[in-house]
Amino acid sequence: MSDTTRTAALFGLVFAMIALTGFMQSWNVALFILNMGLISAIMALGVNLQWGFAGLFNVGVMGFVALGGLAVVLTSAAPVEGAWSAGGWRIVIALLAGAGTIVGTVMVRQRMAKGRARTIATLSILVVGFFLYRGIFDPAVEAVEAINPALQGNLGGLNLPVLLAWPMGGLLAAGVAWLIGKTALGLRSDYLAIATLGIAEIIIAVMKNEDWLARGVKNMVGLDRPVPYEIDLQNTSSFVNRAEGLGLDPATASSLFVKLNYSMLFTVVLVIIFVMAQLALKSPWGRMMRAIRDNEVAAEAMGKDVTNRHLQIFVLGSAVCGIAGAMMTTLDGQLTPGTYQPLRYTFLIWVMVIVGGSGNNLGAVLGGFLIWFLWVQVEPMGLWLMEMITVGMPEGSGLKKHLIDSAAHMRLLTMGVILLLVLRFSPRGLIPEK
Amino acid sequence: MTGNPYQDDRGNKDATIANPKGGSDMTPAMGTGKEMNTTDAFLVGDSMTGGYGKDGPDILHDCTIAVNPGEIAVIVGPNGAGKSTGMKAVFGMLNLRQGSVRLDGEDITSLSPQDRVAKGMGFVPQTNNIFTSMTVEENLEMGAFIRKDDFLDTMEQVYGLFPILKDKRNQPAGELSGGQRQQVAVGRALMTQPKVLMLDEPTAGVSPIVMDELFDRIIEVSRTGIPILMVEQNARQALEIADKGYVLVQGRNAFTGTGKDLLADEEVRKSFLGG
Amino acid sequence: MDLFNALVALSNFVIIPAIAYGSQLALGALGVTLIYGILRFSNFAHGDTMAFGAMLAVLITWLLQSMGVSFGPLPTALLALPFAILGTMALVLLTDRVVYRFYREQKAKPVILVIVSMGVMFIMNGLVRFIIGPNDQRFSDGERFIISVREFKALTGLKEGLAIKTTQGITVVVAIICVALLFWFLNRTRTGKSMRAYSDNEDLALLSGINPERVVMYTWLIVAALATTAGVLYGLDKSFKPFVYFQLLLPIFASAIVGGLGSPLGAIAGGFVIAFSEVTITYAWKKVLKYAMPESLEPSSLVQLLSTDYKFAVSFVILIVVLLFKPTGLFKGKSV
Ligand SMILES: Nc1ncnc2c1ncn2[C@@H]1O[C@H](COP(=O)(O)OP(=O)(O)OP(=O)(O)O)[C@@H](O)[C@H]1O
Ligand SMILES: [Mg+2]
Repeated sequence: MSDTTRTAALFGLVFAMIALTGFMQSWNVALFILNMGLISAIMALGVNLQWGFAGLFNVGVMGFVALGGLAVVLTSAAPVEGAWSAGGWRIVIALLAGAGTIVGTVMVRQRMAKGRARTIATLSILVVGFFLYRGIFDPAVEAVEAINPALQGNLGGLNLPVLLAWPMGGLLAAGVAWLIGKTALGLRSDYLAIATLGIAEIIIAVMKNEDWLARGVKNMVGLDRPVPYEIDLQNTSSFVNRAEGLGLDPATASSLFVKLNYSMLFTVVLVIIFVMAQLALKSPWGRMMRAIRDNEVAAEAMGKDVTNRHLQIFVLGSAVCGIAGAMMTTLDGQLTPGTYQPLRYTFLIWVMVIVGGSGNNLGAVLGGFLIWFLWVQVEPMGLWLMEMITVGMPEGSGLKKHLIDSAAHMRLLTMGVILLLVLRFSPRGLIPEK
Repeated sequence: MTGNPYQDDRGNKDATIANPKGGSDMTPAMGTGKEMNTTDAFLVGDSMTGGYGKDGPDILHDCTIAVNPGEIAVIVGPNGAGKSTGMKAVFGMLNLRQGSVRLDGEDITSLSPQDRVAKGMGFVPQTNNIFTSMTVEENLEMGAFIRKDDFLDTMEQVYGLFPILKDKRNQPAGELSGGQRQQVAVGRALMTQPKVLMLDEPTAGVSPIVMDELFDRIIEVSRTGIPILMVEQNARQALEIADKGYVLVQGRNAFTGTGKDLLADEEVRKSFLGG
Repeated sequence: MDLFNALVALSNFVIIPAIAYGSQLALGALGVTLIYGILRFSNFAHGDTMAFGAMLAVLITWLLQSMGVSFGPLPTALLALPFAILGTMALVLLTDRVVYRFYREQKAKPVILVIVSMGVMFIMNGLVRFIIGPNDQRFSDGERFIISVREFKALTGLKEGLAIKTTQGITVVVAIICVALLFWFLNRTRTGKSMRAYSDNEDLALLSGINPERVVMYTWLIVAALATTAGVLYGLDKSFKPFVYFQLLLPIFASAIVGGLGSPLGAIAGGFVIAFSEVTITYAWKKVLKYAMPESLEPSSLVQLLSTDYKFAVSFVILIVVLLFKPTGLFKGKSV
């Protein structure tokens, strides 16, 4: 079997499975899998840029995805009335003061000669800066969070079209990635893994606790949509007529229609990012990236340039994850910081990349669809399996109940097994890099 | 990218997750399938051909080295000639494509390095030949790892041979000078009470005085009946004490003879001993 | 000003909890550092190994309790600990046999092993949730306090109270025993020394006749014991919840790296550095300052530098600062 037919067959298989879901379960589920599959594929593309093409180990994907989600709120939500005057500006000033403190510290350390004077200067800048920051920040936050706390208590956003939030998500993620990359890349060796692991947890902690930002764990619901609302469609007579013409009830039809709209939007984004990634990697820049990856001697001779290129690709890859994160939050229509978990948003993406084929963009896309499909479908399959296993057990047996209740956890097990099997028997992934 | 996907780390150098230090990339010997039997000696690497990795280029070409009890055999040659590679091949740290290694008449071509240690071979590699984070005494203890009997006598012998080590016994070996490290390295290899000792440039980076002393010690060891196979950069001096000399060029035996013969040979002198 | 009461409050809210937490982190970090030193990769499954060990201890504790066995004033879980350790040892040895050994034979690069450990992490995580579920489980019994606030006040007549939980006391004692045993093993026994030799220089270890498979096996056994102990102590002190163990990965990695990866001494130091920073920076100092400062200067706010939700941020910032100034960690590990 040639490479192309193999690739086509694999993709065909995945889409056939999704279609089968449509026929056997419901088209709503199938489209849900398809939409999240599209988003997963984009995330996998981002990680593949970093790991596949530059060997950068990013275990903080979750953080960038969450930043994308935050960008949706900050871009598309309506500004909360009075929040900016109540304390919004003071929060900005406080944050600037905080940033200024760090910049000041770094500058003092660069300018002044080593010694006690420098230590004292550093410490005093840090202490004064910290209290200044907290002094402005705390009352401002209190003021903002006091505004209609049951429904708001945050600053709100810029009230821009929600589609703009997607590139904004990319930008936000890129900015944070640049900061991390700047500190964690290019010393004698990197420490990107631990840095990303930590920063992702911090991003989630900030999003959970800073209510003024996006209401923290109180969640932002009812975010803007780039597609029509189901209820509006159901109240449009032309739509209802068309649905009935197809033999569908309006509720199902509207839900399918909305999901299809999303599918099309996401497909457009996926195609754009995929084509750009392919073009970039075929360009001299991409060839250089791979040369660095594959040939350490040349890489060391290039010295600082390697660090810069690693930084570039790390920022790009993270931006792609940010875009995907923004798309996901748009699809959900809500931002719920409590639901971001590393297993789901970092390590599962890694499974997608490794299973699909590190270093191959098509592989990453395939991995995204396939692993997402399994992630969703293993649960019902596990339940079915457990029911088969326990069929002989007496009704009301504790073990039977436990097995059936625990079936939901089968998916983690399954993902681990799949990852290990692929790593062992097809270490280059399903669609290997050429 | 290497041929083996499991060894493809994509240039990652993230030391927070992957420890770059102290690992091994050698491929242990698994037999050659092409036996050779051209000479006879106590230890022979017979007509060895092979290189590094699964499909790396051949470094050794039909190369033979051998040594007998009571003898010192010396391998000399230009940098990159394959001297160290030859030593590794004899010790089973290389997967050969052709040739045999025999010890005391027994074919050991397919034995792993550990098994060769158990058979009584001792080896001091050219680089990374001590445990830097462990004390001198612990280095010697590790040398005696396979011994079940009491090795304190041997340790005393080693200390007798290299008195400076006794003073530094509780210092981490990584904090010693280059010459002292070489002594630790040789001492470690002697701790097994080997039947044959292989030394790869034991005098590398050592001052002339210490070098003379090391040579004296090596002769002393050899007098106890242990055959010594050694690679040397200081060709002239080494050939003077050698019973047998091998000149390797590009992985081939260029000249072979007694140390004296080689020293007297016009061509060897011109090309390898600087006139 | 009342320095006595200030000191008591400081001990009660900062020093004692930080020592207990630091001991737990240190035990966890020791496992990570051993794997890093000897198997040469960072084991992402370590948090879940701890969870698995703790889960076994919980189940065995329940079993013992149902049989009416108790350990007097001490938690029954301590009786269960040895069995849990054996179970965890069996699991990690099986994992090594089925999963990791193949990659050693292939001479796989460490970073590949890191990815492999992600797979193992998924499996262990799923296994634990499958067996015991994702919820909180309490399994500590026996006396709750070595000394309670009320007893302390009655004893000393001070206004401020001091409590030492039994679990805190046990944590420290068990941690000291574990660390002493480990160091004795690594520095005094032949096998321990061979493990250090293998970590230092694998090729030379082979040339000395050290059997790598034995070294690896002992490493896993020790790591299983350490991970289970750390997991059980943490669970006794707080409570057992699988997800929390997964989250412990960050402070544990941070401890190991701050101390210097590959250095056991560093892992312990790192554990305490991280624990003390987390606790001091997220503690509301008002109570202590109220006693320590003249009345006129008494703080009106809580004097909490960061809310407790940011404790991960603290580990992380400490980590970055240490790496910027001392790239090999406090105790000169294998270089980062
Ligand atoms: N680990 C290795 N992997 C691949 N090639 C190697 C390796 N070690 C050495 N070589 C190659 O094998 C050839 C011979 O090297 P070797 O170390 O045997 O030379 P040598 O004669 O010992 O030189 P020197 O006098 O500098 O020690 C060289 O071309 C070198 O590049
Ligand atoms: Mg050499």
